[in-house]
Amino acid sequence: MARTGRQRGGRGLAAVLAVAVLAGACSGGEDVDVDGEGGGDGGEGGSAGGTLIAAISAEPDQFDPHKTQAYASFQVLENVYDTLVVPDAEGEFQPSLATEWTTSDDGLTWTFTLREGVTFHDGSEFDSADVVYSYNRIIDEQLANAFRFASVADVQAPDPQTVVITLSEPTPALLSNIGGFKGMSIIPEGAADEYDLATEAVGTGPFTFESSAAGGVTLAAYDDYWGDAPSIDGVEFQYISEPTAALTALRSGDVHWTDNVPPQDVESLADDDQVELGTTPSVDYWYMAMNQAKPPFDNRDFRRGVAFGIDRAAVTEAAKFGAATVNQTAIPEQSFWYHEYAPFEHDPAQATDLIESAGAATPVQMGLMVTDEYPETIQAAQVIQANLAEVGVEVNIEQEDFGTWLDRQSQGDYDAFMLGWLGNLDPFGFYHAQHVCEGTSNFHSYCNPEVDDLLGQAATETDRDARKALYDQAAELIADDVSYLYLYNPDVVQAWAPGLEGYEVRADKAINFESVRLPE
Amino acid sequence: MTGYVLRRLWQSAVVLLGVSVLVFAIMQLVPGDPIRLALGTRFDPDTYEALRARSGLDDSVPVQYVNWITSALTGDLGVSFRSGETVTSLIIERLPATLSLAGGAILVAILIAVPLGTLSALRPRSPVDWFATLSSQAGLSVPDFWLGIMFILIFAGTLGWLPSAGYTPLFEDPLGWAQHLLLPAVTAGVGSGSILTRFVRSSVLEAIGQDHVRTARAKGMRAGDVLRWHVLRNALVPFVTVGGVQLAYLLSGVVIVEYVFAYQGLGQLAFQAVQSRDYPVLQGAVLLFAVIFLVINLIVDLTYARLDPRISYRSSR
Repeated sequence: MARTGRQRGGRGLAAVLAVAVLAGACSGGEDVDVDGEGGGDGGEGGSAGGTLIAAISAEPDQFDPHKTQAYASFQVLENVYDTLVVPDAEGEFQPSLATEWTTSDDGLTWTFTLREGVTFHDGSEFDSADVVYSYNRIIDEQLANAFRFASVADVQAPDPQTVVITLSEPTPALLSNIGGFKGMSIIPEGAADEYDLATEAVGTGPFTFESSAAGGVTLAAYDDYWGDAPSIDGVEFQYISEPTAALTALRSGDVHWTDNVPPQDVESLADDDQVELGTTPSVDYWYMAMNQAKPPFDNRDFRRGVAFGIDRAAVTEAAKFGAATVNQTAIPEQSFWYHEYAPFEHDPAQATDLIESAGAATPVQMGLMVTDEYPETIQAAQVIQANLAEVGVEVNIEQEDFGTWLDRQSQGDYDAFMLGWLGNLDPFGFYHAQHVCEGTSNFHSYCNPEVDDLLGQAATETDRDARKALYDQAAELIADDVSYLYLYNPDVVQAWAPGLEGYEVRADKAINFESVRLPE
Repeated sequence: MTGYVLRRLWQSAVVLLGVSVLVFAIMQLVPGDPIRLALGTRFDPDTYEALRARSGLDDSVPVQYVNWITSALTGDLGVSFRSGETVTSLIIERLPATLSLAGGAILVAILIAVPLGTLSALRPRSPVDWFATLSSQAGLSVPDFWLGIMFILIFAGTLGWLPSAGYTPLFEDPLGWAQHLLLPAVTAGVGSGSILTRFVRSSVLEAIGQDHVRTARAKGMRAGDVLRWHVLRNALVPFVTVGGVQLAYLLSGVVIVEYVFAYQGLGQLAFQAVQSRDYPVLQGAVLLFAVIFLVINLIVDLTYARLDPRISYRSSR
């Protein structure tokens, strides 16, 4: 099922919470061959044309790729915009609007050669000025993704087909920063003044943005797309939040595809011949963190005791009904950055000893902050509560709405919380800000100078294997210190109508319909 | 009459101002920060500060309020933090769906309540009465989300008669509009219908016991005419009052029903605004709901005078 022949556009991912870069994943999925002519594994030939109707489970907030942070928006934008490079299904970066790139010996200058003959959906030619404009818009207006350009000193366009990015320090994560998801899309020069990008979209991708209403969005195939034009005429996204409604619509043929598949339904749907189910391990991870600014959570032994006291398999089963893989580090084994390391097994006796040796009076009271925004945190918390009751920790589950949750997190007003980082590609994105002492996402006050040192070196190490070795060392320290108590990597689960061909479930949850063919 | 209406409108303006102050104040008290919610856990202090300043959230609360109310008076309700669209356009986009759903639901409620309530009042303690009492009790007790999901499973799933989700604009596709409307309207209408059934029953019972009804019967008026002219007409006043409140409630968005059927109306808009602390949208939506209640109450009060000639609103001093 090697996908060869041409570069594929539009990939990426978007994350409600997190982010970032290189890596891999995805081999165990029940994926469908994408580029095969009339492809598919033994299904009847798909028909050309027609409009694909996709039910997505949340409503996009807006369509300005540089401003939104909502996954639902990126599900749509994935099909409309392009970035200079895109991650393939394994998380490796491939050409998109840039056909090739070179890095100077000092790692500070990256030169991108742009694809020729690309036009935007408004008919204008794509060239280097558009890239400079797009990136400077994000940097100058300090938009949501400006931090991805933190090490970028300058973006220049020496000629229409060349873009030169100058860095203040070597940044091996650069490709992931500019191509990891469609938040770094290239828009036409001046587009922010010319169009209302919150409600319109002018990209270079396989589909044009036709119209948007309260209930959904309509896209149409773009005939002048630089890649192979889509075989379907268009895509209609409908926002259906209630899973019963979405799955019923799928069974009755009202929609062709949905991501609204609750984990508890996966088992029964696998035997349902009205529905084709696709799953693959995602690069998301879910974890618990204890507030190390507060005793006894600042005590490493105490945290290690908690890590021994939690039955990760039971937590994972409760949270995801088996549609997830237990992991004691961040990234799943399908990724290049995976490092096999599992120092904790469920051992209540050792957990009790460690917790008692930490010196706090047992039972220790621990508030565990969870949110209804992510119901799996509530389900997981109940198992954690039961596990830890056996080892001298009384967990009080504190369920908050996400606004309050975030407030308390940033004020350090909690004992412990559970959440996930989504769409992790490059380790810079999922280690650095979370675990360096002054990290902007280090809300749990973890500080280990050795980890700072390793992560600092890894951030600028340009040799990939040397870089991985640094991250492996850091990952062990992070797990041993229980900076994050990693729990599991959930599966991506999507469902579509039998006979729909050319769709591929991706580890980074990017939704791309350019190669899809509808059932007869 | 005109004087009465003018006086009521003036009172309404004062109420609206009060509502707007109250909502603004409550939003400040609720924890949660719209910018942090928009950025998620990926927290970059520089971006955060820039976005906060741009959204005007750095101004003091009274200044924010004055800025908002000054624009609101010129018809500009501001721009959503979440979507970047104007609040007015977001509301207008969703108004047709909400009007359809509320209209459909109140129609369903009336179609249930008037016949059922009247029949059960005419035959107290009969099987019809038992049925009406039981079914209105059931209608009140069954949660919307459960009823909605059952309708989806039966009528969209097993029978495949109707679509399970979505909204089609009336002028684009009248048949699709009706098909998409039917299940949500029935789901939302059952609750209101159950409440109204009980009101119809009790007010018809009360009207039947009146002296003038006995007199009408005694003078040999036909039963149907007694019912129409002497009973139902008198029973209408309390019915209109409760029905008005139900309609206003349905118009302010039926969040659960909208959610279950992916029927993007004002309820969903307001709900998302609360979740994302989208102050301008929430402010606009609440203001609209307040207007809806005030207008419907005014209409209800004016209807009284038509239904019952004894009530009049002469502008007396």
